Amino acid sequence: MSAIVEMERISKAYEVARTPGLLGRRGADRALDVVTNFTLAVRQGEFVCVIGPSGCGKTTVLFLLAGIRDPSDGRIAVCGKAPADAVRVGLSSVIFQQPILFEWLTAEDNVLLPLRLRDPRWWWWPPRRARYQETVRQLLRTVELEQFARYYPDKLSGGMQQRVAIARALTLNPQVLLLDEPFGALDEITRDRMNLELLRLYDERELTILFVTHSIEEAVFLSDRVVVMSRGASARTGSSIVREVRVDLPRPRRLALKEDPAFFQKVREGRAALREAQVAD
Amino acid sequence: MAQETLRPTSQVRVPARRSPFADLGSWTIFAVVLLAGWEIGSRLYNQPYLLPAPSQIIRAMGEDYALVLDYARITMQETVLGFVLGAVAALLSAMLFVWLPKTIEDFLYRIIVTLNSTPFVALASLAVVWFGLGITSKIIIAGMYTFFAVLYHTHKEFISVDPMREYLMDVYNAGWLQRMLLLKIPSALPIIFTSLKGGVMAAVNGAIVGELFGAFEGLGYMILDSRYVGNTVRVFLAAVFCTLIGWVLLGVVTFAERLLLPWHVSMARGKSS
Repeated sequence: MSAIVEMERISKAYEVARTPGLLGRRGADRALDVVTNFTLAVRQGEFVCVIGPSGCGKTTVLFLLAGIRDPSDGRIAVCGKAPADAVRVGLSSVIFQQPILFEWLTAEDNVLLPLRLRDPRWWWWPPRRARYQETVRQLLRTVELEQFARYYPDKLSGGMQQRVAIARALTLNPQVLLLDEPFGALDEITRDRMNLELLRLYDERELTILFVTHSIEEAVFLSDRVVVMSRGASARTGSSIVREVRVDLPRPRRLALKEDPAFFQKVREGRAALREAQVAD
Repeated sequence: MAQETLRPTSQVRVPARRSPFADLGSWTIFAVVLLAGWEIGSRLYNQPYLLPAPSQIIRAMGEDYALVLDYARITMQETVLGFVLGAVAALLSAMLFVWLPKTIEDFLYRIIVTLNSTPFVALASLAVVWFGLGITSKIIIAGMYTFFAVLYHTHKEFISVDPMREYLMDVYNAGWLQRMLLLKIPSALPIIFTSLKGGVMAAVNGAIVGELFGAFEGLGYMILDSRYVGNTVRVFLAAVFCTLIGWVLLGVVTFAERLLLPWHVSMARGKSS
C-alpha cells in the first residue's frame, strides 16, 4: 500500500509584521514558523487525525493539503499530484470549520455547485442536467436531508448545514477528504451523530480521511492514527509533530466504544502527548 | 439518524405575515395632520408668494395639469433612462475593476475619485454645453449622479467577499466569470440594491439639475421659469411632482429587490421557519 497523501519535511512561515512603506514598497519584518519539518504519509484508506493546541498550525497543514496555501519548504503530494491540482480535479475535497454555504442557493443548489463550476454549460444539455440533479438527490439522501433539498441554508440547523457541506464535498466523488474541525461548533450529541455519519461514509466510499480537531476523544474515536502537533517545533523531534499515537481499536466503531477501557487508554496516551506538546511550546 | 421531519404548515401556528398595507392607517393620519398644519399655517401667514397652501397647489394643478403631466413625463423619462444607464455602467465598471490588474484599477479609481470630488453642478453645466439643451444631456447628468452613488459600494462589496468563500471557489476551480456570477454578485446584491435606492434619488436630482442648466421642458425648467415670473405655487407643484417621481421609482426598485432577494435576512422578517 502506497501513500496517497505525502508531506515531506514541510515548513510554512507567515509574515506577521509589516512595515508600511511609501509607494507600495513594504518589507516583511518577521516571519512566524507555523509548521516546521512536518513529515506525514497517509496510506490509502487510512483515517488520520491531527490534533494540537490552538495556534499550532493544524489548519495550516490542512490548507497546504488543499492547495490554498503553498509551503515555504518541502515536498507535498496528494494522489501523486500537487495539492491544488488534486483538489481541482476532484481527487481530494475540503470541508471547513464553517459550512460556508451560499445563502442565496437552496441546499440542493449548494450541493450542485462543484458540478456547475466544473461544467459551465451544464444547463443547456437536459440529460446531463437530469443526471447532475440525480447525483445531488442521492448525496442529500446520503446525508439524510432529502426532504430539505429546497430549503435555504438559513432555515437549517448548524448540524444540517454542515451535512449539506459534507454532501457538497462528496459531489465530485473524491478519494481523499480533508476536514478542518468540521464539528467544532456543534453540541456533543450532534457531534457524536456526525462522527458516526462520517465513519459510515468513510466505510461506504472507501475514503482516505485527514481530520483536524482539537478534541482527543473525537480523534481517538474516529482515526487509525493521531498526529499530535505542538506550537513551534518540538525540541525532542525537531519538528511540529510531537508524537503519533496509533489507534488500533476495532472497526466498525460504535458509540459504546467510548465506554471501553481500551478507548480510555488511547485517550490517556493522546492527552500525555498533548501535554508534551504544551511543554515543548 | 436524522430526526427532523416536515409537516404541513396548516398544523402549525405560524405568525401571520405582515400585510404591506398594515401601516396605511398611520400614514394617512400622518399625511392629513401634516397637510392640515401646512394649510392652516400658510393661511395664517397669508403670503402665497412665500408659502402657498396645499389647496392653492392643488388648484394650480387643476389649471395646468396637461402641462405639468407632460413635463413630469419628460423628467421621468430622463430620470429612468439616466438611472438605467448609470446603474449598468456602475455595475460593469465595478466588475471591470475586479478584473483589471491592481495598478490599472488604482489608476482608474483615482480618476473616478477626482471626478466625484469635482462639484457635480460644474460637471452638469459642462454636460449641457457638450450635449446640448435636449434630453441627452439630462440623461447623461442623471446617469452620472447614479453612477457615483452605485459604484463605490458595489466595488467595495465585490472586493470584500469572505475569503473562505473565495477559497471555496478556488478549490472548485471557478473561473473569473463564474466567481462573479455565482459568488460576488449574489453576495453583493443586498448592498447593490441599497445603493440603487440611493441612485434612484440621485437620478431624479440629476435630471432636475440638468434641466435647471438649460432646457425648454421638464419639471426643472418649470421650477426655473416659474421662479423668474414669481409663481411660487408652480415651483411647489413641480417639486411635488419630483417627489412623486422619486417615490414611484423607489417603489419599483424595492419591488425588484423583493423579487430577487427572497433569501436575504432583511426580506425574511415576519416569515416563520
